[in-house]
Amino acid sequence: MAIGGAAPAVGIGYRAAIDRWTRESLHCFDALEITVDHCLASSRTLRSAIFDLVGRIPLTAHGVGLSLGTDAPLDLAYLDRVAGVVERLRAPAYSEHLAFTRVPGRETAALLPLPKTEEVAESIIAKVRTVQSRVPVPFLLENITYVFEWPDSKMSDAEFLNLICQETGAGLLLDVENVYLNATNHGFDPYAFIDALRPGLVKEVHMAGGVTIRDESLAKPLLADSHSHPVPDAALDLLEYTLARQTPSVIILERDDRLEAGDEILDDVARIRARVAAAQSKDTHGEALVGAAG
Amino acid sequence: MAKPLLERQVNLIERLTSSAAIFGGAGGSATDLEGIDGALLRVEARFSYAKRMEKIAAVLPKTFELLGSSRDAHMRAFVESCPPTTLSRFENACQFHRFLLSWWKREAPDPPYICDVAALEIACAKVDADPERPLSDRTTDGDCDRTGSIRRCPNVILLRCAFDIRAIFEPAPEKAVPAKRETPLVIAMPPGADSPQVFEVIPPIFDLLSALDDWVDPYALPAEADFVNLVADLASRGLIEVNS
Repeated sequence: MAIGGAAPAVGIGYRAAIDRWTRESLHCFDALEITVDHCLASSRTLRSAIFDLVGRIPLTAHGVGLSLGTDAPLDLAYLDRVAGVVERLRAPAYSEHLAFTRVPGRETAALLPLPKTEEVAESIIAKVRTVQSRVPVPFLLENITYVFEWPDSKMSDAEFLNLICQETGAGLLLDVENVYLNATNHGFDPYAFIDALRPGLVKEVHMAGGVTIRDESLAKPLLADSHSHPVPDAALDLLEYTLARQTPSVIILERDDRLEAGDEILDDVARIRARVAAAQSKDTHGEALVGAAG
Repeated sequence: MAKPLLERQVNLIERLTSSAAIFGGAGGSATDLEGIDGALLRVEARFSYAKRMEKIAAVLPKTFELLGSSRDAHMRAFVESCPPTTLSRFENACQFHRFLLSWWKREAPDPPYICDVAALEIACAKVDADPERPLSDRTTDGDCDRTGSIRRCPNVILLRCAFDIRAIFEPAPEKAVPAKRETPLVIAMPPGADSPQVFEVIPPIFDLLSALDDWVDPYALPAEADFVNLVADLASRGLIEVNS
């Protein structure tokens, strides 16, 4: 795996609906990302298909069911099951969203944001430490996209992530598309966000493409993270900028809709690889110039 | 004094999963909540609802199709009476199926065979579900110390349909109109199969499998001449297990 190598591995998130296509196209990818929850609460057919990939291609482990941000104790039994899946996948890390999806008795499929305050950060820090104590691989937090913000948020996205990661040693799964969407929807500079991340923080990257929602009740069109369309050039520009500053081990393209457009997926993978090569070329060129000057 | 975060999170998720936020209309759906713009909350509510419906439709695709023009009314009533309690695709589909069953107690199912279609889709999902999850139609899971005893395999579901609905699941079901005919079906995952299989069996076999909820001494059953071969055949198809 290029995970641990010089260039980041490039792959896609495994989706059962395109299992056959994924296997036929396996040579196009360096890694696949597995949603651990698909190994916990899904059909035996799906689990069998996923575990059959172990040893064929490097796998990374990504979760959607922890609801780290719910202001209630973590589900430790769930975490222990996650640990078992991560071990079976031989995944080098386990990632989850800095978000909440449920409260006692009710669960929504949406990843919802948290108030970005020091008090909330302290609560998350304690929970991240619990995760780290039960899942024996490095833990990564992923930045989400959000439609709304809590009015009492006092920190920027980057400040909130930096604080939690610095206190816990957790890495960042940087969803570049989410940075691009949030910056556009909420009016901040995505490059300043990347600049504000601590060096070495980004361990993995997500890329995706979404759609624009136009609703007369909204003050302006909203970009939505639908994982349904090609990665926009603006997000690729941001990826290249990120790669000049951070050294992730893997870049995963997420696609959840219009999965039949296999050519689009492969084209996106090629576009990501081109940006990786461009970033490395700049890096090498820069190093050569420094060497010549020295 | 500020409200605890959990209380605010509860308020938010209750709003986002409410019928008013998803479909609009009464209930203060456009008002702000916890200082958050109501219009944005409606967008978030619709995103979340769409994801939930995708999960249910993935397990009950034919049922969804057959609901046709009444689907929106069903969905609205479902959202109002059954808030989401899990991310699981299977559990959401089971929740919707239970809702449909209660609906069909009040209103005649249309088309009439949709109940059988929904039951078969749920049965296939159950058979393909977590093998550690006990299937609901087995009353006990006791040990057996008697060699040669037989019982129905744990991941086999028996379904007595009022219509022969199998044509609905054929590759080109557009013209399929299921005939009203009692159809005993067995849903199982035979050895080597990569997806649940549906068999129609003759009534005596269906009755035999129904009687094998617990371990049974086969010699205590009313035996046909070729009963031994029958047991071997059912075992080879993964429908019964023989204690060895």
